[in-house]
Amino acid sequence: MIKDITLGQYFPGNTVLHRLDPRMKIILTVAYIVGVFLAKNMISFAAVAASAVLLVIISGISWKTIIKSMKPLIFIVAFTTFFNLFFTTGDVLLISFWRINIYLEGVVYSVMMILRISAMLVGTTILLTYTTSPIMLTDALERLLAPLRKIKLPVHEFSMMMTIALRFIPTLIEETDKIMSAQKARGADFESGSLMRRAKALVPILIPLFISAFRRADELATAMECRCYRGGDGRTRMTKLKYAARDFFAVLVMAAFIASVAALNMIPMGISL
Amino acid sequence: MTAIELKNVTYVYSPDTPFCKTALDDVSLEIKAGVITGLMGHTGSGKSTMVQLFNGLTRPTSGTVFVGGEDIWAEPKKISRFRFKVGLVFQYPEYQLFEETVRRDIAFGPTNMGLDEAEVSRRVEEAAIFCGISPEMLEKSPFDLSGGQKRRVAIAGIMAMEPEVLVLDEPAAGLDPQGREEILGGIRSYQRQKKNTVIIVSHSMEDMARYSDEIVVMDHAKIFMQGSTAEVFKNAEALSSVGLSVPQVTELCNKLKERGLDIPDGIYTTEAAKSAILALLSGGNK
Repeated sequence: MIKDITLGQYFPGNTVLHRLDPRMKIILTVAYIVGVFLAKNMISFAAVAASAVLLVIISGISWKTIIKSMKPLIFIVAFTTFFNLFFTTGDVLLISFWRINIYLEGVVYSVMMILRISAMLVGTTILLTYTTSPIMLTDALERLLAPLRKIKLPVHEFSMMMTIALRFIPTLIEETDKIMSAQKARGADFESGSLMRRAKALVPILIPLFISAFRRADELATAMECRCYRGGDGRTRMTKLKYAARDFFAVLVMAAFIASVAALNMIPMGISL
Repeated sequence: MTAIELKNVTYVYSPDTPFCKTALDDVSLEIKAGVITGLMGHTGSGKSTMVQLFNGLTRPTSGTVFVGGEDIWAEPKKISRFRFKVGLVFQYPEYQLFEETVRRDIAFGPTNMGLDEAEVSRRVEEAAIFCGISPEMLEKSPFDLSGGQKRRVAIAGIMAMEPEVLVLDEPAAGLDPQGREEILGGIRSYQRQKKNTVIIVSHSMEDMARYSDEIVVMDHAKIFMQGSTAEVFKNAEALSSVGLSVPQVTELCNKLKERGLDIPDGIYTTEAAKSAILALLSGGNK
Protein backbone atom coordinates (compact mmCIF):
# COMPACT_ATOMS: atom_id res chain seq x y z
CA MET A 1 0.00 0.00 0.00
CA ILE A 2 1.04 3.59 -0.64
CA LYS A 3 0.37 4.35 3.02
CA ASP A 4 3.37 2.32 4.19
CA ILE A 5 5.95 4.80 2.85
CA THR A 6 8.24 5.68 5.75
CA LEU A 7 10.19 8.40 3.93
CA GLY A 8 10.17 11.63 5.89
CA GLN A 9 8.10 10.12 8.64
CA TYR A 10 8.15 11.58 12.15
CA PHE A 11 7.93 9.29 15.18
CA PRO A 12 6.68 11.26 18.18
CA GLY A 13 8.64 10.66 21.38
CA ASN A 14 10.33 12.37 24.27
CA THR A 15 13.99 11.34 24.11
CA VAL A 16 16.94 13.73 24.35
CA LEU A 17 17.11 13.70 20.56
CA HIS A 18 13.48 14.76 20.30
CA ARG A 19 14.05 17.65 22.69
CA LEU A 20 17.16 19.06 21.05
CA ASP A 21 16.75 22.41 19.34
CA PRO A 22 15.90 21.72 15.69
CA ARG A 23 18.36 24.40 14.50
CA MET A 24 21.12 22.63 16.38
CA LYS A 25 20.00 19.31 14.92
CA ILE A 26 20.42 20.59 11.37
CA ILE A 27 23.92 21.85 12.16
CA LEU A 28 24.82 18.64 14.00
CA THR A 29 23.60 16.52 11.09
CA VAL A 30 25.94 18.33 8.71
CA ALA A 31 28.76 17.90 11.23
CA TYR A 32 27.95 14.21 11.62
CA ILE A 33 28.14 13.64 7.87
CA VAL A 34 31.54 15.37 7.84
CA GLY A 35 32.66 13.09 10.70
CA VAL A 36 31.48 9.99 8.85
CA PHE A 37 33.38 11.01 5.73
CA LEU A 38 36.57 11.74 7.70
CA ALA A 39 36.94 8.10 8.72
CA LYS A 40 39.81 6.46 6.85
CA ASN A 41 41.00 3.30 8.57
CA MET A 42 39.41 0.29 10.24
CA ILE A 43 39.36 1.66 13.81
CA SER A 44 37.83 5.00 12.85
CA PHE A 45 35.17 3.12 10.86
CA ALA A 46 34.48 1.07 13.97
CA ALA A 47 33.91 4.35 15.82
CA VAL A 48 31.51 5.48 13.06
CA ALA A 49 29.56 2.21 13.29
CA ALA A 50 29.39 2.52 17.07
CA SER A 51 28.12 6.09 16.83
CA ALA A 52 25.33 5.04 14.46
CA VAL A 53 24.29 2.20 16.78
CA LEU A 54 24.33 4.60 19.73
CA LEU A 55 22.12 7.09 17.86
CA VAL A 56 19.52 4.41 17.16
CA ILE A 57 19.53 3.32 20.81
CA ILE A 58 19.16 6.88 22.14
CA SER A 59 16.35 7.70 19.70
CA GLY A 60 14.26 4.74 20.92
CA ILE A 61 13.24 3.89 17.35
CA SER A 62 12.91 0.18 16.60
CA TRP A 63 15.58 -1.56 14.52
CA LYS A 64 12.85 -2.88 12.27
CA THR A 65 11.92 0.66 11.21
CA ILE A 66 15.57 1.58 10.64
CA ILE A 67 16.16 -1.46 8.45
CA LYS A 68 12.95 -0.78 6.54
CA SER A 69 14.07 2.80 5.89
CA MET A 70 17.31 1.52 4.35
CA LYS A 71 15.54 -0.56 1.72
CA PRO A 72 15.56 2.15 -0.97
CA LEU A 73 19.36 2.28 -0.67
CA ILE A 74 19.85 -1.38 -1.56
CA PHE A 75 20.53 -0.57 -5.20
CA ILE A 76 23.21 2.05 -4.45
CA VAL A 77 24.83 -0.21 -1.86
CA ALA A 78 24.85 -3.17 -4.25
CA PHE A 79 26.29 -0.98 -7.01
CA THR A 80 29.22 0.36 -4.94
CA THR A 81 29.87 -3.04 -3.40
CA PHE A 82 30.07 -4.56 -6.86
CA PHE A 83 32.68 -2.07 -8.05
CA ASN A 84 34.71 -2.13 -4.87
CA LEU A 85 34.71 -5.89 -4.71
CA PHE A 86 35.70 -6.66 -8.28
CA PHE A 87 37.75 -3.67 -9.37
CA THR A 88 40.01 -3.05 -6.38
CA THR A 89 43.53 -4.39 -6.64
CA GLY A 90 45.73 -5.02 -3.64
CA ASP A 91 48.32 -7.29 -2.09
CA VAL A 92 46.30 -10.10 -0.53
CA LEU A 93 44.53 -12.22 -3.14
CA LEU A 94 41.53 -14.01 -1.65
CA ILE A 95 39.74 -15.60 -4.59
CA SER A 96 40.91 -15.94 -8.13
CA PHE A 97 38.41 -17.32 -10.57
CA TRP A 98 38.56 -17.06 -14.39
CA ARG A 99 39.39 -13.35 -14.87
CA ILE A 100 37.96 -12.20 -11.59
CA ASN A 101 40.30 -11.48 -8.73
CA ILE A 102 38.95 -10.57 -5.32
CA TYR A 103 41.46 -8.99 -2.98
CA LEU A 104 41.18 -8.53 0.76
CA GLU A 105 41.38 -4.78 0.16
CA GLY A 106 38.29 -4.96 -2.04
CA VAL A 107 36.32 -6.69 0.68
CA VAL A 108 37.43 -4.15 3.29
CA TYR A 109 36.64 -1.20 1.01
CA SER A 110 33.16 -2.54 0.29
CA VAL A 111 32.44 -2.98 3.99
CA MET A 112 33.69 0.56 4.64
CA MET A 113 31.50 2.00 1.87
CA ILE A 114 28.43 0.17 3.17
CA LEU A 115 29.20 1.47 6.66
CA ARG A 116 29.65 5.00 5.38
CA ILE A 117 26.38 5.04 3.43
CA SER A 118 24.33 3.46 6.19
CA ALA A 119 25.83 5.63 8.94
CA MET A 120 25.05 8.70 6.87
CA LEU A 121 21.47 7.58 6.33
CA VAL A 122 20.93 6.57 9.96
CA GLY A 123 22.46 9.83 11.15
CA THR A 124 20.31 12.09 8.98
CA THR A 125 17.06 10.19 9.42
CA ILE A 126 17.41 9.84 13.18
CA LEU A 127 18.74 13.30 13.89
CA LEU A 128 16.32 14.99 11.52
CA THR A 129 13.24 13.34 10.09
CA TYR A 130 12.44 10.64 12.65
CA THR A 131 12.82 12.79 15.74
CA THR A 132 11.83 16.24 14.46
CA SER A 133 8.32 17.16 13.37
CA PRO A 134 8.20 18.65 9.86
CA ILE A 135 6.88 21.95 11.21
CA MET A 136 9.83 22.27 13.60
CA LEU A 137 12.20 21.37 10.81
CA THR A 138 11.01 24.04 8.39
CA ASP A 139 10.83 26.54 11.24
CA ALA A 140 14.45 25.85 12.09
CA LEU A 141 15.45 26.06 8.44
CA GLU A 142 13.80 29.45 8.16
CA ARG A 143 15.77 30.72 11.19
CA LEU A 144 19.03 29.31 9.93
CA LEU A 145 18.54 30.84 6.49
CA ALA A 146 17.30 34.17 7.88
CA PRO A 147 20.59 35.99 7.09
CA LEU A 148 19.91 35.32 3.38
CA ARG A 149 17.01 37.78 3.59
CA LYS A 150 19.63 40.51 3.40
CA ILE A 151 20.28 39.52 -0.20
CA LYS A 152 16.52 39.62 -0.92
CA LEU A 153 15.90 35.87 -0.81
CA PRO A 154 12.26 35.13 0.17
CA VAL A 155 13.23 32.85 3.04
CA HIS A 156 9.91 32.97 4.85
CA GLU A 157 7.89 32.26 1.70
CA PHE A 158 10.21 29.40 0.85
CA SER A 159 9.80 27.78 4.25
CA MET A 160 6.02 28.34 4.28
CA MET A 161 5.84 26.56 0.92
CA MET A 162 7.86 23.71 2.31
CA THR A 163 5.68 23.48 5.42
CA ILE A 164 2.53 23.35 3.31
CA ALA A 165 3.99 20.79 0.92
CA LEU A 166 5.08 18.54 3.79
CA ARG A 167 1.75 18.97 5.52
CA PHE A 168 -0.17 17.85 2.44
CA ILE A 169 1.87 14.81 1.45
CA PRO A 170 -0.05 12.45 3.79
CA THR A 171 -3.35 14.09 2.83
CA LEU A 172 -2.71 13.60 -0.87
CA ILE A 173 -1.57 10.02 -0.33
CA GLU A 174 -4.77 9.28 1.55
CA GLU A 175 -6.79 11.01 -1.15
CA THR A 176 -5.08 8.98 -3.91
CA ASP A 177 -5.82 5.81 -2.00
CA LYS A 178 -9.46 6.76 -1.64
CA ILE A 179 -9.93 7.71 -5.29
CA MET A 180 -8.17 4.52 -6.40
CA SER A 181 -10.51 2.44 -4.24
CA ALA A 182 -13.54 4.31 -5.57
CA GLN A 183 -12.51 3.73 -9.19
CA LYS A 184 -11.65 0.09 -8.47
CA ALA A 185 -15.16 -0.29 -7.09
CA ARG A 186 -16.35 0.84 -10.53
CA GLY A 187 -14.27 -1.87 -12.15
CA ALA A 188 -11.21 0.21 -13.08
CA ASP A 189 -8.14 -1.96 -13.63
CA PHE A 190 -4.70 -0.45 -12.95
CA GLU A 191 -2.63 -3.61 -12.97
CA SER A 192 -3.06 -5.29 -16.32
CA GLY A 193 -2.90 -4.45 -20.02
CA SER A 194 -0.34 -2.73 -22.22
CA LEU A 195 1.66 0.33 -21.18
CA MET A 196 -0.71 2.59 -23.15
CA ARG A 197 -3.74 1.06 -21.47
CA ARG A 198 -2.23 1.46 -18.03
CA ALA A 199 -1.37 5.09 -18.69
CA LYS A 200 -4.95 5.68 -19.80
CA ALA A 201 -6.22 3.93 -16.67
CA LEU A 202 -4.58 6.67 -14.60
CA VAL A 203 -6.87 9.38 -16.01
CA PRO A 204 -9.76 8.50 -13.65
CA ILE A 205 -7.36 8.97 -10.71
CA LEU A 206 -5.41 12.03 -11.85
CA ILE A 207 -8.36 14.24 -12.81
CA PRO A 208 -10.19 13.95 -9.47
CA LEU A 209 -6.86 14.24 -7.64
CA PHE A 210 -5.90 17.49 -9.41
CA ILE A 211 -9.35 18.95 -8.93
CA SER A 212 -9.27 18.22 -5.22
CA ALA A 213 -5.71 19.55 -4.88
CA PHE A 214 -6.77 22.86 -6.43
CA ARG A 215 -9.89 22.95 -4.27
CA ARG A 216 -7.76 22.37 -1.17
CA ALA A 217 -5.28 25.07 -2.19
CA ASP A 218 -8.14 27.49 -2.65
CA GLU A 219 -9.67 26.64 0.72
CA LEU A 220 -6.30 26.89 2.44
CA ALA A 221 -5.64 30.30 0.90
CA THR A 222 -9.02 31.55 2.09
CA ALA A 223 -8.44 30.15 5.58
CA MET A 224 -5.03 31.81 5.76
CA GLU A 225 -6.42 35.15 4.63
CA CYS A 226 -9.21 34.87 7.20
CA ARG A 227 -6.50 34.66 9.84
CA CYS A 228 -4.83 37.76 8.42
CA TYR A 229 -1.78 35.99 7.03
CA ARG A 230 0.28 38.40 4.94
CA GLY A 231 3.80 37.01 4.81
CA GLY A 232 6.51 36.80 7.40
CA ASP A 233 7.02 40.50 8.24
CA GLY A 234 6.18 41.28 11.83
CA ARG A 235 4.90 37.79 12.48
CA THR A 236 5.40 36.50 16.02
CA ARG A 237 5.63 32.85 17.00
CA MET A 238 3.84 30.67 19.49
CA THR A 239 6.92 28.58 20.27
CA LYS A 240 10.18 30.50 20.40
CA LEU A 241 13.27 28.42 19.74
CA LYS A 242 15.83 28.77 22.51
CA TYR A 243 19.10 26.94 22.95
CA ALA A 244 19.29 24.96 26.20
CA ALA A 245 22.23 23.42 28.07
CA ARG A 246 21.63 20.08 26.35
CA ASP A 247 22.15 21.70 22.95
CA PHE A 248 25.63 22.86 23.91
CA PHE A 249 26.33 19.47 25.45
CA ALA A 250 25.31 17.88 22.13
CA VAL A 251 27.80 20.14 20.34
CA LEU A 252 30.53 18.93 22.69
CA VAL A 253 29.62 15.29 22.05
CA MET A 254 29.67 15.86 18.29
CA ALA A 255 33.03 17.68 18.51
CA ALA A 256 34.42 14.80 20.54
CA PHE A 257 33.16 12.36 17.90
CA ILE A 258 34.77 14.22 15.02
CA ALA A 259 38.01 14.68 16.96
CA SER A 260 38.20 11.01 17.89
CA VAL A 261 37.56 9.93 14.29
CA ALA A 262 40.37 12.24 13.18
CA ALA A 263 42.66 10.95 15.95
CA LEU A 264 41.89 7.31 15.21
CA ASN A 265 42.80 7.97 11.58
CA MET A 266 46.35 8.65 12.75
CA ILE A 267 46.82 5.18 14.18
CA PRO A 268 48.37 3.10 11.40
CA MET A 269 46.38 -0.09 11.52
CA GLY A 270 45.14 -2.47 8.89
CA ILE A 271 43.93 -1.29 5.51
CA SER A 272 42.88 2.30 5.06
CA LEU A 273 41.19 4.21 2.30
CA MET B 1 -31.88 -15.78 1.81
CA THR B 2 -28.53 -14.29 2.76
CA ALA B 3 -26.90 -11.78 0.43
CA ILE B 4 -23.66 -11.25 2.34
CA GLU B 5 -22.23 -13.24 5.19
CA LEU B 6 -19.20 -12.53 7.34
CA LYS B 7 -17.76 -15.39 9.40
CA ASN B 8 -15.38 -14.57 12.28
CA VAL B 9 -13.95 -11.64 10.37
CA THR B 10 -11.15 -9.63 11.94
CA TYR B 11 -9.50 -6.64 10.29
CA VAL B 12 -6.39 -4.97 11.67
CA TYR B 13 -4.91 -1.75 10.24
CA SER B 14 -1.08 -1.63 9.93
CA PRO B 15 -0.42 -4.82 11.89
CA ASP B 16 2.94 -5.10 13.73
CA THR B 17 3.56 -1.34 13.79
CA PRO B 18 3.02 1.27 16.50
CA PHE B 19 -0.04 2.42 14.52
CA CYS B 20 -1.75 -1.00 14.71
CA LYS B 21 -5.51 -0.77 15.22
CA THR B 22 -8.23 -3.44 15.24
CA ALA B 23 -11.16 -2.12 13.21
CA LEU B 24 -13.23 -5.32 13.20
CA ASP B 25 -12.95 -7.87 15.97
CA ASP B 26 -14.21 -11.39 15.22
CA VAL B 27 -17.39 -10.20 13.52
CA SER B 28 -20.00 -12.65 12.24
CA LEU B 29 -22.96 -11.22 10.38
CA GLU B 30 -25.64 -12.19 7.89
CA ILE B 31 -27.29 -9.60 5.69
CA LYS B 32 -30.70 -10.52 4.27
CA ALA B 33 -31.23 -10.41 0.54
CA GLY B 34 -33.96 -8.30 -1.04
CA VAL B 35 -34.31 -5.70 1.70
CA ILE B 36 -32.69 -2.42 2.74
CA THR B 37 -30.33 -2.87 5.67
CA GLY B 38 -29.15 0.13 7.65
CA LEU B 39 -25.67 -0.08 9.13
CA MET B 40 -25.34 2.24 12.11
CA GLY B 41 -22.71 3.07 14.68
CA HIS B 42 -20.84 6.12 15.84
CA THR B 43 -17.60 7.35 14.23
CA GLY B 44 -14.80 4.79 14.37
CA SER B 45 -17.01 1.80 15.11
CA GLY B 46 -15.81 -0.04 11.99
CA LYS B 47 -18.67 0.58 9.54
CA SER B 48 -16.62 1.95 6.67
CA THR B 49 -13.98 -0.76 7.11
CA MET B 50 -16.68 -3.40 6.96
CA VAL B 51 -18.26 -2.19 3.71
CA GLN B 52 -14.90 -2.36 1.93
CA LEU B 53 -14.75 -6.06 2.78
CA PHE B 54 -18.07 -6.72 1.06
CA ASN B 55 -16.73 -6.22 -2.48
CA GLY B 56 -13.19 -7.42 -1.84
CA LEU B 57 -11.46 -4.02 -1.93
CA THR B 58 -9.71 -5.06 1.26
CA ARG B 59 -8.97 -8.54 2.46
CA PRO B 60 -9.83 -9.46 6.05
CA THR B 61 -6.88 -10.21 8.34
CA SER B 62 -8.71 -13.40 9.25
CA GLY B 63 -12.15 -14.87 8.65
CA THR B 64 -14.27 -15.43 5.54
CA VAL B 65 -16.55 -13.21 3.47
CA PHE B 66 -19.36 -14.86 1.51
CA VAL B 67 -21.30 -13.11 -1.25
CA GLY B 68 -24.30 -15.09 -2.47
CA GLY B 69 -22.87 -18.12 -0.66
CA GLU B 70 -19.47 -17.93 -2.40
CA ASP B 71 -16.23 -17.35 -0.50
CA ILE B 72 -14.97 -14.28 -2.35
CA TRP B 73 -11.30 -14.89 -1.51
CA ALA B 74 -11.36 -18.55 -2.69
CA GLU B 75 -9.60 -17.39 -5.87
CA PRO B 76 -7.91 -14.03 -5.20
CA LYS B 77 -7.17 -13.51 -8.90
CA LYS B 78 -10.86 -13.41 -9.75
CA ILE B 79 -11.74 -10.93 -7.02
CA SER B 80 -12.65 -8.18 -9.47
CA ARG B 81 -15.90 -9.88 -10.52
CA PHE B 82 -17.22 -9.31 -7.00
CA ARG B 83 -16.75 -5.58 -7.54
CA PHE B 84 -19.57 -5.81 -10.08
CA LYS B 85 -21.71 -8.06 -7.88
CA VAL B 86 -21.42 -5.75 -4.90
CA GLY B 87 -21.54 -2.10 -5.96
CA LEU B 88 -19.93 0.20 -3.41
CA VAL B 89 -20.62 3.93 -3.25
CA PHE B 90 -17.96 5.61 -1.11
CA GLN B 91 -18.41 8.49 1.29
CA TYR B 92 -18.51 11.82 -0.60
CA PRO B 93 -18.50 10.01 -3.97
CA GLU B 94 -18.79 13.32 -5.88
CA TYR B 95 -14.98 13.62 -5.71
CA GLN B 96 -14.47 10.61 -7.96
CA LEU B 97 -16.13 12.11 -11.06
CA PHE B 98 -13.74 12.66 -13.96
CA GLU B 99 -15.40 12.36 -17.38
CA GLU B 100 -16.35 15.09 -19.83
CA THR B 101 -20.07 14.49 -19.58
CA VAL B 102 -22.36 13.07 -16.93
CA ARG B 103 -23.45 10.36 -19.35
CA ARG B 104 -19.90 9.15 -19.91
CA ASP B 105 -19.14 9.21 -16.21
CA ILE B 106 -22.13 7.04 -15.36
CA ALA B 107 -21.14 4.71 -18.21
CA PHE B 108 -17.63 4.17 -16.77
CA GLY B 109 -18.63 1.21 -14.57
CA PRO B 110 -20.86 -0.62 -17.08
CA THR B 111 -18.21 -0.10 -19.80
CA ASN B 112 -15.60 -1.70 -17.56
CA MET B 113 -17.93 -4.69 -17.29
CA GLY B 114 -17.51 -5.20 -21.03
CA LEU B 115 -21.16 -4.65 -21.96
CA ASP B 116 -22.15 -3.56 -25.48
CA GLU B 117 -23.03 0.04 -26.25
CA ALA B 118 -26.79 -0.41 -26.39
CA GLU B 119 -26.87 -2.15 -23.02
CA VAL B 120 -24.60 0.50 -21.47
CA SER B 121 -26.80 3.37 -22.62
CA ARG B 122 -29.97 1.55 -21.48
CA ARG B 123 -28.46 1.16 -18.02
CA VAL B 124 -27.21 4.75 -17.91
CA GLU B 125 -30.64 6.11 -18.73
CA GLU B 126 -32.37 3.86 -16.21
CA ALA B 127 -29.96 4.77 -13.40
CA ALA B 128 -30.35 8.46 -14.30
CA ILE B 129 -34.11 8.22 -13.79
CA PHE B 130 -33.74 6.61 -10.35
CA CYS B 131 -31.30 9.31 -9.29
CA GLY B 132 -33.37 12.18 -10.65
CA ILE B 133 -30.94 13.15 -13.39
CA SER B 134 -32.69 14.87 -16.30
CA PRO B 135 -31.76 14.10 -19.93
CA GLU B 136 -30.27 17.64 -20.33
CA MET B 137 -28.09 17.08 -17.30
CA LEU B 138 -26.69 13.89 -18.88
CA GLU B 139 -24.93 15.97 -21.55
CA LYS B 140 -23.45 18.51 -19.10
CA SER B 141 -19.99 18.40 -17.59
CA PRO B 142 -20.13 16.86 -14.11
CA PHE B 143 -18.05 19.78 -12.83
CA ASP B 144 -20.80 22.28 -13.67
CA LEU B 145 -23.28 20.62 -11.31
CA SER B 146 -24.14 21.42 -7.71
CA GLY B 147 -22.83 19.25 -4.85
CA GLY B 148 -26.08 17.32 -4.46
CA GLN B 149 -26.35 16.74 -8.21
CA LYS B 150 -22.77 15.46 -8.38
CA ARG B 151 -23.55 13.06 -5.55
CA ARG B 152 -26.52 11.70 -7.48
CA VAL B 153 -24.40 11.26 -10.62
CA ALA B 154 -21.84 9.27 -8.61
CA ILE B 155 -24.55 7.02 -7.15
CA ALA B 156 -26.04 6.52 -10.63
CA GLY B 157 -22.56 5.42 -11.76
CA ILE B 158 -22.69 2.48 -9.38
CA MET B 159 -26.41 1.73 -9.91
CA ALA B 160 -25.79 1.46 -13.66
CA MET B 161 -23.58 -1.56 -12.96
CA GLU B 162 -26.80 -3.24 -11.71
CA PRO B 163 -25.07 -4.94 -8.78
CA GLU B 164 -26.86 -7.66 -6.83
CA VAL B 165 -25.98 -5.78 -3.67
CA LEU B 166 -25.74 -1.99 -3.58
CA VAL B 167 -23.74 -0.61 -0.66
CA LEU B 168 -23.77 3.12 0.12
CA ASP B 169 -21.49 4.69 2.71
CA GLU B 170 -23.23 7.78 4.15
CA PRO B 171 -25.02 8.64 0.88
CA ALA B 172 -26.83 11.64 2.41
CA ALA B 173 -23.99 13.11 4.49
CA GLY B 174 -23.82 16.88 4.36
CA LEU B 175 -26.97 17.40 2.30
CA ASP B 176 -30.03 19.50 3.14
CA PRO B 177 -33.33 17.72 3.97
CA GLN B 178 -34.55 17.98 0.38
CA GLY B 179 -31.30 16.57 -0.98
CA ARG B 180 -31.46 13.69 1.53
CA GLU B 181 -35.03 12.96 0.52
CA GLU B 182 -34.17 12.92 -3.19
CA ILE B 183 -31.22 10.58 -2.76
CA LEU B 184 -32.66 8.17 -0.20
CA GLY B 185 -36.09 8.16 -1.88
CA GLY B 186 -34.42 7.35 -5.19
CA ILE B 187 -32.48 4.51 -3.61
CA ARG B 188 -35.63 3.09 -2.09
CA SER B 189 -37.67 3.19 -5.28
CA TYR B 190 -34.72 1.54 -7.05
CA GLN B 191 -34.64 -1.22 -4.41
CA ARG B 192 -38.42 -1.77 -4.45
CA GLN B 193 -38.44 -2.05 -8.21
CA LYS B 194 -35.33 -4.21 -8.65
CA LYS B 195 -35.92 -6.32 -5.53
CA ASN B 196 -32.19 -6.47 -4.90
CA THR B 197 -30.23 -5.94 -1.68
CA VAL B 198 -29.27 -2.49 -0.45
CA ILE B 199 -27.02 -1.63 2.50
CA ILE B 200 -26.93 1.98 3.71
CA VAL B 201 -24.38 3.22 6.23
CA SER B 202 -25.73 6.17 8.19
CA HIS B 203 -25.65 8.15 11.41
CA SER B 204 -29.13 9.54 11.00
CA MET B 205 -31.76 7.72 13.05
CA GLU B 206 -34.55 9.53 11.22
CA ASP B 207 -33.28 8.43 7.81
CA MET B 208 -32.77 4.83 8.93
CA ALA B 209 -36.22 4.72 10.51
CA ARG B 210 -37.82 5.87 7.28
CA TYR B 211 -35.86 3.92 4.74
CA SER B 212 -34.50 0.69 6.16
CA ASP B 213 -36.17 -2.67 6.79
CA GLU B 214 -33.37 -4.19 8.85
CA ILE B 215 -30.80 -2.52 11.09
CA VAL B 216 -27.33 -3.56 12.20
CA VAL B 217 -25.75 -1.54 15.02
CA MET B 218 -21.99 -1.59 15.47
CA ASP B 219 -19.92 -0.54 18.45
CA HIS B 220 -16.18 -0.79 19.07
CA ALA B 221 -15.38 -3.11 16.16
CA LYS B 222 -18.20 -5.53 17.06
CA ILE B 223 -21.86 -6.07 16.15
CA PHE B 224 -23.90 -4.57 18.97
CA MET B 225 -27.43 -5.29 17.81
CA GLN B 226 -29.24 -6.63 14.77
CA GLY B 227 -32.91 -6.92 13.89
CA SER B 228 -35.84 -5.35 12.11
CA THR B 229 -36.10 -1.58 12.35
CA ALA B 230 -38.95 -1.80 14.87
CA GLU B 231 -37.04 -4.27 17.07
CA VAL B 232 -33.91 -2.17 17.16
CA PHE B 233 -35.65 1.10 17.97
CA LYS B 234 -37.47 -0.59 20.87
CA ASN B 235 -34.15 -0.62 22.73
CA ALA B 236 -33.78 3.10 23.27
CA GLU B 237 -31.59 2.72 26.37
CA ALA B 238 -29.19 0.22 24.81
CA LEU B 239 -28.78 2.49 21.78
CA SER B 240 -27.97 5.53 23.89
CA SER B 241 -25.33 3.49 25.74
CA VAL B 242 -23.32 3.24 22.47
CA GLY B 243 -23.72 6.90 21.64
CA LEU B 244 -26.72 6.56 19.32
CA SER B 245 -30.28 7.62 19.92
CA VAL B 246 -33.73 6.62 18.71
CA PRO B 247 -35.63 8.86 16.25
CA GLN B 248 -37.29 11.91 17.78
CA VAL B 249 -40.83 10.54 17.26
CA THR B 250 -39.89 7.32 19.05
CA GLU B 251 -38.56 9.37 21.94
CA LEU B 252 -41.80 11.36 21.99
CA CYS B 253 -43.87 8.15 22.09
CA ASN B 254 -41.70 6.76 24.90
CA LYS B 255 -42.18 9.94 26.93
CA LEU B 256 -45.95 9.79 26.37
CA LYS B 257 -45.95 6.19 27.54
CA GLU B 258 -44.02 7.17 30.67
CA ARG B 259 -46.86 9.54 31.45
CA GLY B 260 -49.27 6.63 31.39
CA LEU B 261 -50.69 6.97 27.89
CA ASP B 262 -51.48 3.79 26.00
CA ILE B 263 -49.16 3.96 22.99
CA PRO B 264 -47.91 0.78 21.28
CA ASP B 265 -44.18 -0.12 21.15
CA GLY B 266 -42.00 0.13 18.07
CA ILE B 267 -43.18 3.40 16.56
CA TYR B 268 -40.40 5.02 14.58
CA THR B 269 -42.02 7.03 11.80
CA THR B 270 -43.98 10.22 12.02
CA GLU B 271 -46.90 8.62 10.14
CA ALA B 272 -47.22 5.73 12.62
CA ALA B 273 -46.96 8.10 15.57
CA LYS B 274 -49.64 10.33 14.09
CA SER B 275 -52.14 7.50 13.67
CA ALA B 276 -51.36 6.10 17.13
CA ILE B 277 -51.92 9.49 18.78
CA LEU B 278 -55.08 10.11 16.74
CA ALA B 279 -56.41 6.68 17.74
CA LEU B 280 -55.65 7.51 21.35
CA LEU B 281 -57.41 10.86 21.13
CA SER B 282 -60.53 9.45 19.52
CA GLY B 283 -60.48 6.60 22.07
CA GLY B 284 -60.22 9.19 24.87
CA ASN B 285 -63.25 11.08 23.54
CA LYS B 286 -65.49 8.09 23.87
